[in-house]
Amino acid sequence: MADDGRGAKRQKTSGAEMDPKANPYLAHHYEEESNGYSNGYSNGFSRSKKASSTVFDNLIRHQTSSKDAEVAENGPNNAFTGQPLSNRYFNILKGRRNLPVHTQRQEFLDMFQKSQILVFVGETGSGKTTQIPQFVLFDDMPQLQGKMVACTQPRRVAAMSVAQRVANEMDVPLGEEVGYSIRFEDKTSPRTILKYMTDGMLLREAMTDNNLSRYSCLILDEAHERTLATDILMGLLKEVARRRPDLKIVIMSATLDAQKFQKYFKIGEDPAPLLAVPGRTHPVEIFYTAEPERDYVEAALRTVLQIHATEPEGDILLFLTGEEEIEDACRKIGLEADELVREADAGPLKVYPLYGTLPPAQQQRIFDPAPPPHKPGGRPGRKCIVSTNIAETSLTIDGIVYVVDPGFSKQKVYNPRIRVESLLVSPISKASAQQRAGRAGRTRPGKCFRLYTEGAFKKELIEQTYPEILRSNLSMTVLQLKKLGIDDLVHFDLMDPPAPETLMRALEELNYLACLDDEGELTHLGRLAAEFPLDPSIGVMLISSPEFYCSNEMLSLTALLSVPQLFNRPASARKRADEMKELFAHPDGDHLTMLNVYHAFKGPEAQRDPKQWCHDHFLSYRALQQADNVRSQLKRIMEREDLELMSTPFEDKKYYENIRRALVSGFFMQVAKRDGSGKTYITVKDDQSVLLHPSTVLAQEAEWVVYNEFVLTTKNYIRTVTAVKAEWLLDIAPMYYNIEDFKQGEIRRSLQKTADTLRRKEALKAGKSRK
Amino acid sequence: MEDNEEDDYMNMIIAEPARSEKETSIQRTARKRREARERGFHKTKQEREADAAAARDAALSTSLNTSNKGFKMMAKLGYKPGTTLGKAEHARIEPIGVVIKENRGGIGHDSEKKRKIRGELEEAAKRVKVEEVGYRERVRQEREEKRVGGQLVGAQKIAEGLDMEADQDAAAEEDDGTTKDSSRVPLNKRPLGSINVLWRGLIKSRLEKDVERRMRADMQQSLSRLPTYDNPTEEQEDRDAYAKKQTANEFVEEDLFDEDAELNEFQELDAGERLDKVVMYLRKTYHYCFWCKHRYENTEMEGCPGLTEEEHD
Repeated sequence: MADDGRGAKRQKTSGAEMDPKANPYLAHHYEEESNGYSNGYSNGFSRSKKASSTVFDNLIRHQTSSKDAEVAENGPNNAFTGQPLSNRYFNILKGRRNLPVHTQRQEFLDMFQKSQILVFVGETGSGKTTQIPQFVLFDDMPQLQGKMVACTQPRRVAAMSVAQRVANEMDVPLGEEVGYSIRFEDKTSPRTILKYMTDGMLLREAMTDNNLSRYSCLILDEAHERTLATDILMGLLKEVARRRPDLKIVIMSATLDAQKFQKYFKIGEDPAPLLAVPGRTHPVEIFYTAEPERDYVEAALRTVLQIHATEPEGDILLFLTGEEEIEDACRKIGLEADELVREADAGPLKVYPLYGTLPPAQQQRIFDPAPPPHKPGGRPGRKCIVSTNIAETSLTIDGIVYVVDPGFSKQKVYNPRIRVESLLVSPISKASAQQRAGRAGRTRPGKCFRLYTEGAFKKELIEQTYPEILRSNLSMTVLQLKKLGIDDLVHFDLMDPPAPETLMRALEELNYLACLDDEGELTHLGRLAAEFPLDPSIGVMLISSPEFYCSNEMLSLTALLSVPQLFNRPASARKRADEMKELFAHPDGDHLTMLNVYHAFKGPEAQRDPKQWCHDHFLSYRALQQADNVRSQLKRIMEREDLELMSTPFEDKKYYENIRRALVSGFFMQVAKRDGSGKTYITVKDDQSVLLHPSTVLAQEAEWVVYNEFVLTTKNYIRTVTAVKAEWLLDIAPMYYNIEDFKQGEIRRSLQKTADTLRRKEALKAGKSRK
Repeated sequence: MEDNEEDDYMNMIIAEPARSEKETSIQRTARKRREARERGFHKTKQEREADAAAARDAALSTSLNTSNKGFKMMAKLGYKPGTTLGKAEHARIEPIGVVIKENRGGIGHDSEKKRKIRGELEEAAKRVKVEEVGYRERVRQEREEKRVGGQLVGAQKIAEGLDMEADQDAAAEEDDGTTKDSSRVPLNKRPLGSINVLWRGLIKSRLEKDVERRMRADMQQSLSRLPTYDNPTEEQEDRDAYAKKQTANEFVEEDLFDEDAELNEFQELDAGERLDKVVMYLRKTYHYCFWCKHRYENTEMEGCPGLTEEEHD
């Protein structure tokens, strides 16, 4: 059982002697001896000596009231650590008691105690993410069970920052009683009773512990965002709940689409109980345009400037779709605003960009206060934040009074028919539009300017954003589900089941990767690949890399492929950046180039001052650092799974060839062949015409290439490409490159020719050896 | 499962005899030539992009079929083609479409544009149709009017002739048929009001033309002096010299500009009706069939096929 190790560890580090009496799993053997258990719970429960003198002695699990909790919270000692509470704690406590959720604490407890599953709806600003898990702690008392409460978040940043906040609120150091766990980073200890984690991490844990037995209560936060992992978790929890009646589940959502959750988690024939807490929001007036806009970016800029020139004090939030668009808009608004200041005596305007790949320090700047007036008594300054949809839900910026919403965002799409997963600019949903508008009413009544007509809002926007599960390649998910012990994928009860073709394609891909056999059963390789928090094709590539004598290199490369953009290419210094990239370029392709970068980064010259070195070479220090971190995490898994780490000697002329062969072992389904006449390539099997992404270092002569990404724009691009050879394809992935399966054409002819040549060579060799 | 497959020889597919894989020299030359031609022919960027987009759209609209390995695995779990996954009520059957935004048009802009273009197209199509019909119809009508107009004038002339003949005959009878009264004003020179309304228009337009012609002639003869030119200081001799005197015709001319309600009423009828009236008048009064161009002896008008033009075809 997974807990045994953990339980033992918990005892060791909490300083207790290795007395069997202190072992929580043996506690029931000493029931009569254990004092202070007069309150009704007996078997299986234990506590460390340290915690035994707490307020919980007088409370009965799942029978507490908000009053009890408040008394416990009032101190003077920390209910969980026994330590005296700090002043800061009491200051924060005052604020917490003012949150909207606090008034409904008793109501929450009543429902929580009565029902196994509860749906909780709270608008942003209600305090649900920080408070509900604490409400649960005081009633569920996981520390007495040797269990934990987990609260999932869709985003890593949210998991980290909320954990920090709650650690402060509970007056404990982060990583002790309150911790977090995200991919490639685990900040918890054996003392941890409340764990914030990404939904993906919880799913990963479920793979080794199908009943999630470490937890006494699971809280799925931001369920309305419907991430892939949340959807799978919900499907899973429906089954776990049946197997573990002691497990409490709280589904938290920000929108009023709660009936869907209630219905999905129905208990018998009744919908799951619902508790709704109003948020603390002000009314927002919504304006539409009279006519559809010809250019939404231009219209957005115009609107921002108009607001600045004519509307009273208050900050502006403008939603655009991506980094480039945002940076461009920021520059233009800045210039125009300067003119407004000069010519129309407008107040100063500070413009900040906000997007996911922005360095955290720069992200932090959005919280700077608006600039003061130019001169005392002058018109007040304001700030304008130009953001992707991360400001829609995950980040809350106070002071926003005006929201400009052009109605677009970049959304992931996946289509199993051409196997392309890409980010495309798409219209948002009505729910998204409402969410955006709501951002204007955080501090006082606000205004939202929608850059489309009311008719377009009603007719063109879908009700809800499609959940991620409908927009994703599911091969990794299918592998996880298999590992979770869910065999009947066809009837697995998902809230929004994907199109059958998506599952079909995922199964097919896993079969070609030899992760699933023809019966759909998990193979040894599949089981192994599921251990890696990676796309199965990359996982398989990593697992088979020792066969190509380059597992060290593939480990680095895998890490590099799982972090964002490595190369910086600022608009102001494109040429210089390209020259720098040229230093690392390998003529055979981008993967090898990335590897060269990493090796240089780890070299002594760069390590003397890595930050400066990255800056000089137009590389992202953050990305490389992150890659380093990912690499060590993956390395640990490699070692755990007994996968040999090795390298071909660098002097060996096969050094790079081995790496390219290893690439084929994972990426053989992402191959394109040059189309006779020149620049275009044709993707294998899907027959899509593609161009090499302009960022590639690959010389144009390569006949066959593997690619990391199919980018869908008005043109089709393949990005991060490396040259390979047709004979490797036939040799390494014979199942996929079964020539009979190909339709007539250039690709089949070329493969046939290669196969014929190989056969002749073999025959020649055999003939020779016979002599 | 396997047993079944073995037993089921009726469904066995007999492979076609394998064609020889090797291509003949002729085939090879043909292929080489074709390939060379393809190499030599460079598509423009737009063509290539259009091709790529077309290939993408084609692939996007082709669903994975039952030959897919994944399908076979799903079938083992009881999946049937055309059904959905899971247990939800309104599960997806088709993957979400891929729509690539090609411009920066705002929400509703493209559909608004499409709607407008569609509307305009429809409008234009409708207009073209209407115009087509209208033009042909108009031309036909114009031709018809012209033809009927011509016939009307012809019929009116006949009526004029016959009326005048009858008038003279009547006058002759009055005068015992011996002498023709030369002083008697011919019918068509009498004041317009007294002329048969059926052909009065004919006379009127003849007079109008006549007046116009005379005025033009006057102008030319009057040494560049407009006929209306009236200089009170002009000497009488000069006036006489310039032939400024009232002519007989001037009564008729005055007549010409009088309001003629009877004629107006008649003229308001369309040409066909006017023609009909004249034709009927001729038949009744003179047993004359305009279409036969023949004056019959009696009211029976034996031999005339009917009243209308069509009957005389």
